[in-house]
Amino acid sequence: MLSEYLNRPLFFWFVLTLPGVAMLYSYATGVSDAMDMLHPTGETSARLLIIALMITPLLQLTRGAKWMRWLQDRRRYIGVAAFLYGLAHLVFYVIDMGTLQAIASEIPLPGIWTGWIALLLMVPLAMTSTDAAMRALKRGWKRLQRLAYPAVVLTLAHWIIIHNGLTAALVHVLPLALLELYRLIRFLRKAPQHA
Amino acid sequence: MRKIILATTLALIATPAFATGKVKCDVAEADMKPRAELEAQLVGDGWKVKKSKVDGGCYEVYGTLPTGENVEAYFDPATFEKLYVAQRGKVLFKKGE
Repeated sequence: MLSEYLNRPLFFWFVLTLPGVAMLYSYATGVSDAMDMLHPTGETSARLLIIALMITPLLQLTRGAKWMRWLQDRRRYIGVAAFLYGLAHLVFYVIDMGTLQAIASEIPLPGIWTGWIALLLMVPLAMTSTDAAMRALKRGWKRLQRLAYPAVVLTLAHWIIIHNGLTAALVHVLPLALLELYRLIRFLRKAPQHA
Repeated sequence: MRKIILATTLALIATPAFATGKVKCDVAEADMKPRAELEAQLVGDGWKVKKSKVDGGCYEVYGTLPTGENVEAYFDPATFEKLYVAQRGKVLFKKGE
């Protein structure tokens, strides 16, 4: 009974929106201003993107464990949520900057354009996250979704440059990097057998 | 092998984020001048000050330079000496460099 409700997409969406509700509450009550919102929105977006990308290697590592497949079925919601938190990140950046002129003046900065491109790469991913788009694009869909990899690399660059420090960004990305390394080793080991 | 990677991955996920201090200040609390004084001085110099706080023992100020750049800047809390200024991670000034 309960598990039936917990397995509904709506429940998963509810969980994904919880951090956002906490953030918006803090903004609405004046505890946080637009500048304070940049860090939580950006970090949540990056975390979700990293989690979405960790699912495939974790499936391999756990040999298709049930809980991983459960997560895999919901990967697209995680991806769309990553985009929406990224969009919120941009909205608060725009509010904080105030004028288009000020925003434009920061685009040449490496800490800024990396963020812009990372988010732009996520637009087609979010827009093609429906079943209909998946059917329409056929094999192209998977190729398109691989844009998530450059997006996560640019997100990492954005994070490192903006903070002018490696620690926070690397702590978050390291699990994914390690899993990708495992995936690569696995692929290289297997490759000769298929040749 | 698989278990080691899985355990390491989970351990890394659980690692809490660290505080990042770009600059460190070691000033006794009694020697610290009021932060409002620093803000007033900066405004007098043509800055727009958005907010300020203590970070790594230094005063950290978020604001806009007279030339228009949005920056975070660090100051010595006793002397108000400028230590570090960065615009979105691009270092515009660092003491001794």
